[in-house]
Amino acid sequence: MRRRDPLTPAARRELDALDRALAGEPVDDALHELEALVRDVRASAPQMRPDFAERLERELAGGFAGAAPAAPPARRRRRPRRTLMLSTAGTVAAALAALVVVLGQGSQQEPSQLARPETPQAPSGARERGGGQAVGAQADRATADPATSAAPPMAGGAIAPQPPASVAPGAPRRVERSADLVLETPASRLRRTADDVVRTVDRFGGIVASSTTAADDRGGDATFDLRIPAARLDDALAALSRLGHVAERRQSLQDITASLGSLRDRLADARAERRTLLRALGRATTRAQIDSLRARLRITRSTISRLNGDLASLRRRAELARVAVTVRGVERETGGGGWSPRDALGDAARILEVMAGVAVVALAVAVPLGLLGAALAFGARGLRRRGRERALDPA
Amino acid sequence: MADRVNTPTRSFDALYRDSARDIYAYVRTLLGDDAAAEDVTAAAFERAFRRRASFDARRGSERAWVFAIARNAALDELRRRRRSAPLLAELADETAPAPDEEADLAVRRTTVRAALAALPPRDRELVALKFHGGLTNAELAAVLGTSESNAGTRLHRAVTKLREACHAPS
Repeated sequence: MRRRDPLTPAARRELDALDRALAGEPVDDALHELEALVRDVRASAPQMRPDFAERLERELAGGFAGAAPAAPPARRRRRPRRTLMLSTAGTVAAALAALVVVLGQGSQQEPSQLARPETPQAPSGARERGGGQAVGAQADRATADPATSAAPPMAGGAIAPQPPASVAPGAPRRVERSADLVLETPASRLRRTADDVVRTVDRFGGIVASSTTAADDRGGDATFDLRIPAARLDDALAALSRLGHVAERRQSLQDITASLGSLRDRLADARAERRTLLRALGRATTRAQIDSLRARLRITRSTISRLNGDLASLRRRAELARVAVTVRGVERETGGGGWSPRDALGDAARILEVMAGVAVVALAVAVPLGLLGAALAFGARGLRRRGRERALDPA
Repeated sequence: MADRVNTPTRSFDALYRDSARDIYAYVRTLLGDDAAAEDVTAAAFERAFRRRASFDARRGSERAWVFAIARNAALDELRRRRRSAPLLAELADETAPAPDEEADLAVRRTTVRAALAALPPRDRELVALKFHGGLTNAELAAVLGTSESNAGTRLHRAVTKLREACHAPS
């Protein structure tokens, strides 16, 4: 029975003294007895008989005839190589497992994680622009207002012309821009593409006003209501279009210069009215006049406040373009035709995914089996050792 | 070719010269029988020679390795015979002090031999490994298949018993 008593400092000191005595070094006077004990026990050590010593020498010189030769050195060199191979295989398996985790992340994300709702900067009526229109007729582009000519030509879409606004000649024109984009991507890449949409919006300083994702193994779609700085809209649309096959793309412009002018005029009028009312209030002499003027002033202030809000809202609509993106997951990658390098990359990634999955399953089986085997081997070794050591117990 | 392969390497030869007598003393202490000790010592060296390629320096010294082989061989022999070693009887004859030794030295060594013989076999083995084999506590742990601290504790206990037995009135 093994006891696991820790060594006391005194015991440690005695063992050190014993080691010194065995090495022939001087020992503390207090432990001088150990020195004598070592001397006496060693003096009583059994000695080999000379004829046995000679026989053993002969056997050694003869290479213990009958003994199997030692393994050639080449075999010894194989051990580290085998260790290296095992560790390499382990590393590859771990890398594949990590790949599965990374690749699998996209398909494990919940819609709630994907969506990044943010407070819309634009007013809620962005979709209800009174004068806004997206006209699909190519011919309309020719008649578009010169102010809209900065917009690039669209694939499958058209620029909506706006009626000329009644603004002062030479005044800068303000437009509200919006776009609708429908992308198609393989169903297996839907979530990843949706993530890429969010990343692209972030890159261009935009926001995701709302998003929803409904995906399964066979398809699904993700929709995004985005706000992107109008100055960067073209670049953002180009980047978004690269995320998948563009099935549909439309852009529209709404000239809000007249609306802005109208609002400004109404605001100026309201302010002028307030000034007039204030002057009249200063001149009022009767209680009735004062009360009446104050009531009108309250209404005018309220009007000014509302007009200021409308003006700010309209300006925001001019600064932030609304982009509606729909990503559709389709069962087979669209684009038709041949097998492109992109297809090959996709297939390669899929093969790696499957291989990594197989490796993970194999590891899930092999690791517990290996641990069990190691535990059994360890236990068997311990049992064998104990069995041998039982020979030291009294019969 | 076979001769060349079976010729003892220089390091094995050195190991043999360094440890053969100590191993014999240890095995003889354990078995208490000259003939059996010689057979086991020879078998241990033959086994070590055959397995010398499997020696792994990361797991301990060569000396601890060959002592572990000898220990296994000795324990196998003991198991076969299923009896403990009667140590004192045969030690007394071969290591008796010379007639010209001083009387008190002779008495003291006789006392030590008697005390050693009276130890339980496990403690006697520890004393033999330490005193005859000259193993460090780390080597002792490797031979016994235990931790260094456990080996130290067990050794200290065995030495304490030996010291007490030496001081016990006969």
